[in-house]
Amino acid sequence: MRRVPIGERPDWRETARRHGFTFHTFDGEAYWSESHAYAFKLAEIEDDLEAPSTEIHALCLAFVADAVEDERILASLDIPSHAWDAIRASWRRGDPSLYGRLDFSYGGASAGPAKLLEYNADTPTALYESGVFQWLWLEEGLRTGSLPETADQFNSLHEKLIARFRTLRGDGAMAFTAYAVEPEDRGTVAYLEDCARQAGLATCFLDLSDIGRDEDGRFVDRVDAPIPRLFKLYPWEWAFSDAFGKDLGTTTTRFIEPPWKAVLSNKGLLAHLHAREPGHPNLLPSFFENDSRKASLGTSFVKKPLVSREGANILMLRDGAVLAQDHGPYGGGRYVQQALAELPDFDGRRPVIGSWIVGDEPAGLCVRESAGPITGNSALFVPHFIEPG
Amino acid sequence: MRSQTVTLVMLAGAGAAAFGLARLDPSQDEESVLVYANADACIAGTRRTEEDCRSEYLTARAAYPEVAPRYATVTDCEAHHGPSHCLPGDGVAVSAAGRFVPRMAGYVIGRRIDQNLPPQPIFDHAPNSEASHSGSAGHSGGAGYCTSWGGRITTSSGGASSSARVASSAVRKVAYGGFGSTGRSFSSHGWSSHGSGG
Repeated sequence: MRRVPIGERPDWRETARRHGFTFHTFDGEAYWSESHAYAFKLAEIEDDLEAPSTEIHALCLAFVADAVEDERILASLDIPSHAWDAIRASWRRGDPSLYGRLDFSYGGASAGPAKLLEYNADTPTALYESGVFQWLWLEEGLRTGSLPETADQFNSLHEKLIARFRTLRGDGAMAFTAYAVEPEDRGTVAYLEDCARQAGLATCFLDLSDIGRDEDGRFVDRVDAPIPRLFKLYPWEWAFSDAFGKDLGTTTTRFIEPPWKAVLSNKGLLAHLHAREPGHPNLLPSFFENDSRKASLGTSFVKKPLVSREGANILMLRDGAVLAQDHGPYGGGRYVQQALAELPDFDGRRPVIGSWIVGDEPAGLCVRESAGPITGNSALFVPHFIEPG
Repeated sequence: MRSQTVTLVMLAGAGAAAFGLARLDPSQDEESVLVYANADACIAGTRRTEEDCRSEYLTARAAYPEVAPRYATVTDCEAHHGPSHCLPGDGVAVSAAGRFVPRMAGYVIGRRIDQNLPPQPIFDHAPNSEASHSGSAGHSGGAGYCTSWGGRITTSSGGASSSARVASSAVRKVAYGGFGSTGRSFSSHGWSSHGSGG
């Protein structure tokens, strides 16, 4: 794994515009960054990232199967009890998941196994830029010679998403919802809707505020038509707290991601996975804060809220000293403590590896790069390629 | 690691502007409505065209037989809607046979057409009734109306053609805005975020 200078394409913003990539820059700050790229060896991808992703996702599914039948586990994740029925029912019915992103700390084969930092199993973004714009970057780099001619990319996101949607045909239209005013959310959902249409589904977009609840407790659209299936780019823990959250147990609407994903999109997962698979090479020792075994972590660990986004409210300690701390809005709940696995340092930049899962299969990679040890919302999306040899 | 090129059907050449992001106000907690006894009262009010008045009234009138609340006895009905405001259901709808229903006192429409509030029949609400339909809030006394599911409408002048500010839930059977507030509470606390994703 190397960080390689490539040089920007002079016209990439125009290319982005033509391909509907509307959120490559936020508030004047770059998000998509292609002056450099990360180069991996094929073995690093296949052995160190792809295979562990398959395995960890499978461990996660086994954990969900146990969690939904054990209210102590659901309670340990701070999931409100009014949501338990919806979570349990969605799992027992086999409600399908679409996608998720495992985040790893990984610095190349010489730096040891990839370590799971979290599973963004419910509302991952960076999807369009991973599946489409990163791939277009590779194709153009191969054409222009800015990349080695046998360069490849770990990226089957686009066709796997379409294939996954193809298995979801036939149960009526699928509505897609998000905050319409958030460009990144809106763009991510528009991309998924695009994939769904290519798979033959009838789709429509609803702003979150366009979802209604009728007198029979059904979720309906603006013309009061029931919504049979709803893709929501809106975290389950927020939906559980919303006014409609109490109706989730009785609704006939089917959700993507399904409610059982709330069990995985929770940092408490890390403590449970560690307890189930101690010594697993890709899992860091992790404990709930009220677990006295957390002392085994010593004075180097990361304290994370059970639910937070974009690195918010994370406290990082090394040898008892604060390495980094984020003050965000998610500090009110419970925490886990995870052994410290600092992101590698490449020329002073800190990449985190996002490993995509579509259905139950690994489907590609994204690299987001920060200046500091916590990957926050100012991280840059940096493309990657697989180099020959 | 894949063979195909990327094809997009919606996004290509579009961008967010193409998605028609017209937003409806998510905080429809309250809205302005107009109450009329019939189409003639509406026409006299001149807030709507004559054509709109007639068609809206007919919409409400057509809905009345099926949406009017049903009561087992005339006493129950009058307790909600006041003396001599109730009818045997047999003459109203087959589904109301053997029951009692309130007379249609008038209808309610949105003050503005773009509120998209479906015209619907309203019923007199007994001034001193302590009984209530399911879901109806407490009331402040005085002349008032209710919708078929008990939403309360109290007009400013108490007349048969007047305007009112009402809780949205009183006139809309479907509640909107029940998703999204938790996420907004995070962004409104100064947290700079790209959205809901991570």
